[in-house]
Amino acid sequence: MSSRRQESLRTVGFMTALSLVSITSVSALHLATVQRVNRNADLYLQRAVMEVSGVALPADAAAVSQWFAASVEAEPAAAPTRFRIRDAATRETVALAFKCRGRGLWGTITAVVGMAPDGRTFRELRILEQNETPGLGARIGEPWFMRQTAGKRGPLKLVPEGTRSAQPNEIDAVTGATISSAAVRDMLNRLPEEAPFKEATP
Amino acid sequence: MNAAKNWKLFKENLGSQNPVFVQVLGICSTLAVTNVVKNTVVMCLGLIFVTALSNLLVSLLRGVIPARVRMMAEVLIIACLVIIVDIYLKAFNPDISRQLGPYVGLIITNCIVMGHAEAVALTQPPATAFVDGLAAGIGYSYVLLAIACVRELLGTGGIWGFNVLGGAWVNWAIMVMAPGGFFVLAVFIWIVKGCWLKPARKEKA
Repeated sequence: MSSRRQESLRTVGFMTALSLVSITSVSALHLATVQRVNRNADLYLQRAVMEVSGVALPADAAAVSQWFAASVEAEPAAAPTRFRIRDAATRETVALAFKCRGRGLWGTITAVVGMAPDGRTFRELRILEQNETPGLGARIGEPWFMRQTAGKRGPLKLVPEGTRSAQPNEIDAVTGATISSAAVRDMLNRLPEEAPFKEATP
Repeated sequence: MNAAKNWKLFKENLGSQNPVFVQVLGICSTLAVTNVVKNTVVMCLGLIFVTALSNLLVSLLRGVIPARVRMMAEVLIIACLVIIVDIYLKAFNPDISRQLGPYVGLIITNCIVMGHAEAVALTQPPATAFVDGLAAGIGYSYVLLAIACVRELLGTGGIWGFNVLGGAWVNWAIMVMAPGGFFVLAVFIWIVKGCWLKPARKEKA
């Protein structure tokens, strides 16, 4: 009896020790790289904002950050979700962009959606983060899907993939990914109501 | 003696006991990440790192791992190494990390890693286990790279993003989609088994 107990104790002790070592090493690596990872995420967001506002993307990262600092008003300051893109020379608003979330099949979908200065007409969108099924729902990250919202106006509805609808309120869904497609549609449809930049300033 | 044994193990992993085309392990990632050569290279490096080190660590600990929880211990070690690869990619290679998406994390469940930890690392000394892990990783990698080269070449007309076949080439879109992986892998296994493994077996008999 006592030897069995000893063995159980040894087993638990071993697993605890192994877990502690693993957790410590992974945490140490995380802490060492977290700033870099955050910087990468910021840059990715800036690039997405630049793309959806229709500005040509420069090759190097520093130029993206420079453009972002010079032409974009982002609010709230800490974790920006609303972006107003101004022309460098005239300071006129050329586009709006919003970071928004929707509930996908497996997790939260985060995207940046571009809008014309009127606050109603969509431009392209970029998916920032998603955990949809690879090969099915994850195809919402494909270029054709993210580009098709340009020029559309809500409320949007989904049509089968391949329709390439010219109607201003229809977007193609991804075949086999109804929930993921609907999540993006709902996210876009909520946006005009939630968007705070309604009083389109010239 | 030991070096000779390790060398034999190394050769077996590349040829007659290859994890992909003989044991048919790790097929999920073989199909998923081989549409572009660049992603494949990163995935392979990650897998070599994980198999080699997990085999080494499990082998070092094989005397103290309680038999009843050996699988838990193995998975913990493997998961830890995979997360290290994932964090490294996120920090230093964010674009590739984004493209590979969930597949880096799925190295944890890659049968090759677990299989070699169970079959080799638990019974062999660290040096042998390390060589075995390394060889299994390399054996997996060259098959994946071969498949990726075919798929990217036919699917996009280029390799590593450079156009090879010229403007007149019509891309085979199916090659970069999942079914293309099935076709190329099947043809690969067919050729290797028919031309090489079967004659070798007949000779032995």
